[in-house]
Amino acid sequence: MSTPVIEVSKLNKTFSAGRADVQALADVSFTVEQGQFVTLVGPSGCGKSTLLQIMAGLTGPTSGEVRIEGEPIRAPMPEKIGMVFQDPTLLPWSTALANVEFPLDLRGVDRATRRGRCTALLELVGLREFADHYPHELSGGMRQRVAIARGLAQDPRLILMDEPFAALDEQTRTRMGHDLLDIWEKTRKTVFFITHSLAEAIYLSDVVLVMSTRPGRILDTIPINLPRPREIDIIGSEAFGRLRNRIWHMITEARA
Amino acid sequence: MNPAVAGYLLFAAALFGGWELAARLAVVDPDLLPRFSHVCVLLWHLLQDPRFITDLGVTASEVAVAFAIAAPLAIATGFLLGERVHLAEMFNPVVHFILAVPQSIFLPVFILAFGIGFVEKVLFGMTHAYFVIVVNSFAAVRSVPRPLVSAARVFGASRSQIYTRIYLPAMLPLILTGLRLGMIFCIIGVILAEMYASRSGVGRLIFSWGEGYQVPELLAGILLLSVLTIAVNEVMRLAELRVSRFQARAAAT
Repeated sequence: MSTPVIEVSKLNKTFSAGRADVQALADVSFTVEQGQFVTLVGPSGCGKSTLLQIMAGLTGPTSGEVRIEGEPIRAPMPEKIGMVFQDPTLLPWSTALANVEFPLDLRGVDRATRRGRCTALLELVGLREFADHYPHELSGGMRQRVAIARGLAQDPRLILMDEPFAALDEQTRTRMGHDLLDIWEKTRKTVFFITHSLAEAIYLSDVVLVMSTRPGRILDTIPINLPRPREIDIIGSEAFGRLRNRIWHMITEARA
Repeated sequence: MNPAVAGYLLFAAALFGGWELAARLAVVDPDLLPRFSHVCVLLWHLLQDPRFITDLGVTASEVAVAFAIAAPLAIATGFLLGERVHLAEMFNPVVHFILAVPQSIFLPVFILAFGIGFVEKVLFGMTHAYFVIVVNSFAAVRSVPRPLVSAARVFGASRSQIYTRIYLPAMLPLILTGLRLGMIFCIIGVILAEMYASRSGVGRLIFSWGEGYQVPELLAGILLLSVLTIAVNEVMRLAELRVSRFQARAAAT
């Protein structure tokens, strides 16, 4: 088997908060293979976002390491890693298209190439006719679609997603999940996704990593063998329900 | 019509109409309140008087030099305080103490130290402009959304790209607010210094017209300075509105 896209080994992160040190992550280890959709679920404040920040190269671990395609990460790797944040974090003074172009623009890619590639990406997320709109003219879901297109702009192998749909209403959220799977199947990126919604995790993923409350530890790695392509109805199926119960008990029992 | 424009016009009509009427009906002593129309004619003549234009030029150049030196210094100071937490902890209280003191009380000290020439006016104008711009620039740095900075870093932005592509556009509205207030304060400082002790400048003229009981000239001077400062303020405010419209709308959504 080839090098895993992500290798996290014995990762620890401790924050000093005044006199007491807070341990956010404890001995976190896992791997993600090429093309997989892997989701990390865990309760709020369990260190999920801290883990993602380390994986993105935004902050360093206290000990342990993260390797992306075999290369240890110490700083952001824009050509390898695209990211979608919980807030869309779009530039309010730039249009949707200019926002998608932003990562390429930073690298000095010429205008024509940028235009072509990013218009295609807006098409992929279903926003082609909104290219000239400013973020404040778009709905929450549309803004997050722009952010997904931006995450794909540098054509990275890996996309990190930090609860990207958490601020959306239930219907938009379900729809976005469905469309994300569509995009994933078209682009075959490796996706590492974070959420606190068990249903979202099971619906989207090949593998679900379950994290405990702080200090965050990986409680279990659960393969999701539901057939693909998945339709939204699958959420009501028996197999889906069993998986959800299993993860639910795992998280609540670990807390007790 | 734009309600703000209507408001200005209504206010001006009431003020100047009331003034003209009060003077014509001699409700107020005509020596104290000459007619508005009379003052306007006098102002027109003053504007053709080269000596008056020279005084106007002196004041304008004092304000321009003071602002041109103070503004970049103040923006740099505010930026440094905004970016360096420990510096801000040390010096923010100092800045606020200084802002609380009425700076006019230091004018006699400035005169003792620097005389009553161009340099003293410029320095006094600078100290007036400096602190208010520092405070606004500091707030501007703090208003830069941190998640945008993280996003830019993930997408490979260098430090200078973060400053030019994120900081600058995000900071611009508050920087412009600071510059506008700084300009007003700068004009106040220079005029005050001229009125208190000077050989030239519009401030000195206005003060001596008052002392000499030359009411029409005095009112003409006041009218002109009011119009000029309002014009400066409005131009800067328009620039501010232009750059802040995205941020304001983004915040509203």
